[in-house]
Amino acid sequence: MTESVVLARPDVLSELGQATLRRLLRAWFDFERRLARVPIIQRLEGGTFTREDYQRLLLNLRPQVVEGSRWITRCASSFDREHADIRSVIIGHAQDEHRDYEVLESDYVACGGDLAAIRARLRNPGSEALHCFLMYRASEPNPVGLLGAMWIIEGLGAKMAKEWAARIEQLTGVAQDSTRFLRYHGSNDESHMDKLYGLLDRVCTSEAAADDILRTAAVVGRLYALQLEEIDVG
Amino acid sequence: MSAYITSTGSFLPGPPIGNDEIEEVLGLVEGKPSRLKARILKANGIKTRHYAIDKSHRTLFSNAQMAVEAARTCLAGSPVPLRSVGLLSCATTQGDLVIPGFGSMVQAGLGIPEVELHTTHGICSSSAMAIRSAVNTLRLAEQSTALVVVSELASRLFKSSRYEAAGGHEAIDFDSEFLRWMLSDGAGAWLLESQPRGRCLRVDWIRSYSHADSFPVCMSIGHPTDAEDARTWQDFGTYAEAEAAGALLIRQDVRLLENIVKVGVDGALRLIDEGLLDMSRLDHLLCHYSSHHFRSKIFDMLEMCGARVAEEKWYTNLYTRGNTGCASILIMLDDFLREGRARPDATILCMVPESGRFNVAYIHLTVVEAS
Repeated sequence: MTESVVLARPDVLSELGQATLRRLLRAWFDFERRLARVPIIQRLEGGTFTREDYQRLLLNLRPQVVEGSRWITRCASSFDREHADIRSVIIGHAQDEHRDYEVLESDYVACGGDLAAIRARLRNPGSEALHCFLMYRASEPNPVGLLGAMWIIEGLGAKMAKEWAARIEQLTGVAQDSTRFLRYHGSNDESHMDKLYGLLDRVCTSEAAADDILRTAAVVGRLYALQLEEIDVG
Repeated sequence: MSAYITSTGSFLPGPPIGNDEIEEVLGLVEGKPSRLKARILKANGIKTRHYAIDKSHRTLFSNAQMAVEAARTCLAGSPVPLRSVGLLSCATTQGDLVIPGFGSMVQAGLGIPEVELHTTHGICSSSAMAIRSAVNTLRLAEQSTALVVVSELASRLFKSSRYEAAGGHEAIDFDSEFLRWMLSDGAGAWLLESQPRGRCLRVDWIRSYSHADSFPVCMSIGHPTDAEDARTWQDFGTYAEAEAAGALLIRQDVRLLENIVKVGVDGALRLIDEGLLDMSRLDHLLCHYSSHHFRSKIFDMLEMCGARVAEEKWYTNLYTRGNTGCASILIMLDDFLREGRARPDATILCMVPESGRFNVAYIHLTVVEAS
């Protein structure tokens, strides 16, 4: 009995689902503009991003990536029997991504970094805040608000694959064997979006749920940007 | 007090110029045809446009003359006499003179005495700023009639000699050539009054959202070709040195262009959330970017969130009139009205995206009949 439960893309979202998706889109655009004001991303956009910047980026992303599957699995276990279909989707998601950090580590080594150094790196203050917030939300019963976190983090994965990877290769001269982690998240972009629409349709059943999703997206966006800002602080 | 657009007019210089004639007018850089032209024209879809310069690169109409022609056409369609115009609100990207303001030249050309004058500065969205000023002045009842005149003379920037002076093919890249195949010349005018007259357009609201704090410059004149060189055009010893360094070329950072779609959509969603914009009740969307720029992944998301504007509601004259920058939206509404598309009670959203440093303006109109 391994038949997977799929929350399919709905043909039409409910009125509340549509309004929530509009709010999520605006939250995403706001997040993108916030990212554009972060020093390391300004260097990436402005063309002064270096190989050292790339190494620092990977160094600072790994602690959060390696913990990523923890909050996702915690999130899955916090959904009760009434939400078993959602739980199944999230377990599948955790399974897909739980060893991403190994790809990131090999990228770091391929672009000249030291494996022991990246493994020893602790979370920066932004990563710490992000991780703690996600674990806290994931520990609450039926944490539907985390759909907002997924929206931001999945969106960023697509942005890394479609925009950052090629730009980093162009500016720093690193080869594609150093950007596999960034590129990986672009491969299933459309199916991820369909999954997201399905989840939105399923969980966005009240204004309170919608507000919770949006608030979570706003906090995750702010903390993710903080994590990247801290690259130039530490 | 309200503001109503009671007459419109436009002026497009010379005959329509087809894609295969562009280089006959603008000239071959170092005698060689462009390698990028076909690709850029295919992407923007423009078939014909107008130029105020001829094949010898003589200027047949100055920017101010085009503005005056558009204003005269606009006033010719209205019983309002020229002397009744209380406010003259003008915009252009680049006047014929660096100073004084463009409005002064337009006023002199029209011969309006003692008018209140307003000139805005910017690129495409400078038109919306000029309209905003006119609407506000009428709403405050400080004037009862305002004439908005917006004109664009881009072709003088695109003469082959400009590119040769900046180093020719060796020195010009995609970003400095892109707009050569995009922009062209023209002028438009709207007459606004505080009372409706006949079938006219009520200005319901104007909003704009600028994002210069988040994004780098995307369209500009003034930076040299060498990105490491932080000087701008007036920092050079002579204008000849600035031109040789490429600092007088008009550039578009094409890599950043997709952001204009994002901020355009963001603004529209914000207006929906604020209850100002009801997509289900919108009849026409006028925009000088074509709808295919708004396809892609965002298009699917807009469909899912109920904010997509159906293809048949899009109106643009981009393909035949060209992209006339700030003048576009005024010329477009003029064409739209002349084609008899404005049915009573219809709602119209004019969207004016400016990629310069990312500003998008929205003007919402309703067709009304004066009782």
